[in-house]
Amino acid sequence: MRDSFYLAWQYIRFNRWKSITLLACVMIIAFLPLALELLLDESEKQLVDRATSTPLVVGARGSALDLVMNALYFGEQVPRRMTMAAADAIEATDLALPIPMYVRFRARGAPIVGTTLDYFDFRGLRIADGRNLAMMGECVLGAAVAEQLELQPGNDIVSSPENLFDLAGIYPLKMTVVGVLERAHSSDDLAIFVDIKTTWIIQGLGHGHQDMEKVTDPQSILGRSDTSITASAKLFHYTEITPDNVNSFHFHGGLAEYPITAVLVEPHDDKSGTILQGRYIGDEATEQIIRPREVVDELLANIFRIKNLLDAVILLVGLATLLAITLVFALSIRLRSREMDTVFRLGCRRATMVRLVGAEIVTIVAAGALAGLLAMLILQQFASELVRSLIIR
Amino acid sequence: MRRFQAVSLMLTLTAATAAYAESALNVYSVNYPLQYFAQRIGGEHVNAVFPAPADVDPAYWVPDADVIGAYQQADLILLNGAGYASWMDKVSLPKRGQVNTSASFRDAYIPMADKVTHSHGPGGEHEHTGFAFTTWLDFVQAGQQAEAVCVAIKKSDPDRAADYEAGCQSVALDLAALDSAMMAVSRTYQGAPLMGSHPVYQYLARRYTLNLRSVHWEPHDTPTVEQWSEFRHTLSEHPARWMLWEAEPLAETAEQLEALGVRVVVFDPCGNRPDEGDWLSVMRSNIQALTDARSAH
Repeated sequence: MRDSFYLAWQYIRFNRWKSITLLACVMIIAFLPLALELLLDESEKQLVDRATSTPLVVGARGSALDLVMNALYFGEQVPRRMTMAAADAIEATDLALPIPMYVRFRARGAPIVGTTLDYFDFRGLRIADGRNLAMMGECVLGAAVAEQLELQPGNDIVSSPENLFDLAGIYPLKMTVVGVLERAHSSDDLAIFVDIKTTWIIQGLGHGHQDMEKVTDPQSILGRSDTSITASAKLFHYTEITPDNVNSFHFHGGLAEYPITAVLVEPHDDKSGTILQGRYIGDEATEQIIRPREVVDELLANIFRIKNLLDAVILLVGLATLLAITLVFALSIRLRSREMDTVFRLGCRRATMVRLVGAEIVTIVAAGALAGLLAMLILQQFASELVRSLIIR
Repeated sequence: MRRFQAVSLMLTLTAATAAYAESALNVYSVNYPLQYFAQRIGGEHVNAVFPAPADVDPAYWVPDADVIGAYQQADLILLNGAGYASWMDKVSLPKRGQVNTSASFRDAYIPMADKVTHSHGPGGEHEHTGFAFTTWLDFVQAGQQAEAVCVAIKKSDPDRAADYEAGCQSVALDLAALDSAMMAVSRTYQGAPLMGSHPVYQYLARRYTLNLRSVHWEPHDTPTVEQWSEFRHTLSEHPARWMLWEAEPLAETAEQLEALGVRVVVFDPCGNRPDEGDWLSVMRSNIQALTDARSAH
């Protein structure tokens, strides 16, 4: 038997490209369905864990899926905006702690999550390096973002404009990194956290500029009266918040009118949660309250319907590949007829030839399966990150 | 034996102090009156902290990152409301534990009279407006703020609610007495014109119907020639014989006022810790100063 494997191995080495192709086919057939299963299991775990730990989410009426994906997983699709008054209204009920979220802007590809410090307690996030947010214009990075962007406390990061053509619109804000979070193995690892007021400054709703009552440059001031000052676009706006200029930053109008994308709601108890849900029933309500777990379950049901379809496709592709491999071996045997003749003339029996071909097939299939297993082990190591960065975003 | 007893006593005291520090409710406030209310209500069960240095005006003070970190760790953060301590809008503090003590009378906030409209950029015209924020100089409002502190402390530490009730009642009684005393003094003025050195007496004037106009002078600064000129002009329309000051003004200023027939009356809003006494004693002194000033004329 050892001789058969020796000869098979020599044959495989001599026809290395054909053998590698066959091995790759076997590996893909073994790896694909298992990898799909693994990634879907990981997606389900991550989606369900986060959804279960978030009892209720309030957002503007519209797509519940967009709302949940943005509020919980910081997805790129920004749901319809509502105002901070929605969070204030929840607080006024004394039924729950509202945690406002404004997830709209990005910096170097990572989502900027505007929220309050309560979010860190709510998710159990802890600072690994540096300190937590203290002033506007500061940011705390998720562990993965800090690693990918090679940032640490003391460094700066600039917010990205929403589109390249908005030249006269939002000024990019230079934010100071004051802390890096411990790895949470969740979407929080991929986010940049700022105070919600900082996101309003990024949007241009709050800003800091020269004291208009002290500016003397006639090109900066278009008009001045006892009750009114009109400035031109030349008025210097700060693009970074520092201890020296923080007092010049201000917001126009009441903060209750400022935009947010969602409110994470932490009811004081089950009864409070139920009462609160009741307040959003009715056609006249402009906001919706949802249980993320229900939305995620619905999403997973759809994903598994698609998975069943994918399984069927993979099965068919697998069958086709197996048939192709069989054909390759059959053709290979036909191409090797002269070699077989030589083997028979040397006095070998037919069974010896079967053993030789069998050893070849077993070697290739075993090597393919082993390669598939190795790929699965590697995938398992990165599945959590992959799911967060490729699937949940 | 004696040494052993002394060491045991020290260890016991250290353990007791540590236990107190652990179990006491950590209450941070944005001004001294709220710290005073919290400490009176909470007694030994509350560690009431107002971390601003004694020589700053808490309304305009901006704490550094370490102090903000301490506020973030507090069980309760007592806010004055009405835009007091504008640094609150510029820092990150947890919503959990924040209590706006003037929320119950937010509809009664007094808008600031001097506002400048300005415009720049796409946002259009806007105003940097605000409210008068020395809310506690109306002692009824101070009572409502103390009540809010009381409710918040009881809610944070329900096991000791009965203990806190005594403190709440005691503060309420003192504030009611201050209100009565101030009401009585205000009746003696019968709408007589008064000046204020700083725009901090709006709630005092409204509650106690004082006919008061304010300028914007600082006790430790000498008013400029323009300020004196404007003051004389105001006096011609509003012939005040008393001027309320947050603190004793410079002697030179007091003399010039005296020459104009205006007597200095120190009415300290006591937003920060006083050098002597406490908030209640300062308010009593304020009322006494007003009484004395009226009797002198």
